[in-house]
Amino acid sequence: MDYMEIFGVWLSVFLTLSIFSYLYKDNPFYKAAEHLYIGVSAGYVAVISFWQQIQPNLFGRLWPRIDGNAEMGILKSIWYSIYEFLNWLSTLGGWLDRSIFPENGIKGFDQISFIYIIPFILGIFMLLRLVPKLGWLARWAIAYIVGMAAGLRFYGFLNSDILMQVKAATVDFSGDWWSIFNGLILLVGTLSGLVYFFFSKEQSGIVGKVSKIGIYFLMIKFGASFGFAVMGRISLLIGRFDDLIISNSAENFHATMWITCIMILLLAIWAFLEKPNNGDAVS
Amino acid sequence: MDILKKIFIALGSMDRRFIFLLVGFSVLLPKLYPDFFTLPIKASSHSERVFAEIDALENGAKVLVSFEYGPSTKPEIHPSAIALLNHLFSKDIKVYAVALWPDGNFMATEAFSAVAEKYGKQYGKDYVNLGYKPGGEAVVKGLASDIRTMYTVDLLGNELDEIIVMENVKNLLDFDFIFSLSAGYPGSKEWVQFACDPLGIPMSTGCTSIQVTDIIPYVENDQIKGILSGMPGAAEYEQLVRNTLSLRGIDVNPGKASINMAAQSMAHIVIVMLIILGNITYYLTRKSTKKGGVK
Repeated sequence: MDYMEIFGVWLSVFLTLSIFSYLYKDNPFYKAAEHLYIGVSAGYVAVISFWQQIQPNLFGRLWPRIDGNAEMGILKSIWYSIYEFLNWLSTLGGWLDRSIFPENGIKGFDQISFIYIIPFILGIFMLLRLVPKLGWLARWAIAYIVGMAAGLRFYGFLNSDILMQVKAATVDFSGDWWSIFNGLILLVGTLSGLVYFFFSKEQSGIVGKVSKIGIYFLMIKFGASFGFAVMGRISLLIGRFDDLIISNSAENFHATMWITCIMILLLAIWAFLEKPNNGDAVS
Repeated sequence: MDILKKIFIALGSMDRRFIFLLVGFSVLLPKLYPDFFTLPIKASSHSERVFAEIDALENGAKVLVSFEYGPSTKPEIHPSAIALLNHLFSKDIKVYAVALWPDGNFMATEAFSAVAEKYGKQYGKDYVNLGYKPGGEAVVKGLASDIRTMYTVDLLGNELDEIIVMENVKNLLDFDFIFSLSAGYPGSKEWVQFACDPLGIPMSTGCTSIQVTDIIPYVENDQIKGILSGMPGAAEYEQLVRNTLSLRGIDVNPGKASINMAAQSMAHIVIVMLIILGNITYYLTRKSTKKGGVK
């Protein structure tokens, strides 16, 4: 195992224990790890999204690979000169190597799809949010995203979550007694749960009683959700412990043991030094 | 009796950090001393259904596996991914990986590298990793109409038309089964809504525990064919795969989920006991507060 690998193990142990240290209370270790996590996650998603979506699927469609020796029409030449200009910008005037805009276009597609100029412009509008005077243009891109997502999701929810689930709530009286009993419970639970969320009528009398039954069904659902949430969190804890145990091997110079000891010591010093400050703040 | 009451009230008001330590030790001890904490694993009907669906696929079938999880949920879902790949490769099924989460790339790569070699599977010929595409449901919808509109190259930069396993694969209708390894949005729900229900492609899922109550209505309605619920689901599936493959002469090591189930069960016991203790203490405290109020 090389030193960089060992450094990686020590770093992962340090970050894991830093996050765990929140169980004691909010502290600088936790804050550092939290900020690092958010920064790295945002950076990673941005880079991956660019290289796996924007570069091949947007730029690749606008400027697909062409034969460098073939004759081009005047419009195409102008179009690819824009490409070269973008390359000039991205390489800081040729100072960096070509990467985003390779020579003679991006491989993957055969024909130029000019329709993709629209998402390209909307994407630029989105970034204009950083320019206060032109920030309003970002609303156009957001309006497109909201409209598209709402329309797209509407069908999916209507079909899979409403129509098919309503169908599933019907009782099949041709089945055995157990399935009929199950179906009836499901029907009562669905209807009473829906009545609980019906706010156009005061929940008293028969409506109140039915909605109370709905509450019990909802409580069972929340209980199950809580149980599953606990189970999931314990699984994640086991995963971290797994890594901490592996990191504590002699091969890794007992990273877990050393970092735990150092962190406890530093936290103790920090807690000791912090106390008077808290007292000052209160007084 | 009064002493017992005082003990319960004192335990109920103990510092939350002791509870964290208690839960931590309940997980740590079975990990450090696994021989003292062995518990049997019995497969649930949902895990059995997943196994039966995969096992019923014919040799040479095409299965799309979607990786929608990352390192944060790896302990829950990755064991399912490994067991699934063992099961699929043992049946010579072609595997196509996509990722709706950015970290899914790593998870898919790691899972393939852990399993493929054992079965002599070659990248590009027996399996392919198409990588991550942002867009959630829009990606699923795109794959449903034409994979090549979403992916021009695979994760390694090979053009799709140059990959052998991609021959005759145009869209999701060319797959025999979809398996979603999901830790949230976008995930199993989006595959059901935008691929499996509209196109009628059978699908199963291995998801995080926290998602189970959201996904189970689809399972009960047969929109999803079985579910592997978090780590316990993964452990059950691992056992089913291991037992079946050993009957077929393939030796598979016990999976991580199966090994970790003792720690999971111990933690559950401790948490259940703490909940009972908390309720008793609450009952006793409320009773004495009421009495105090009357006085």
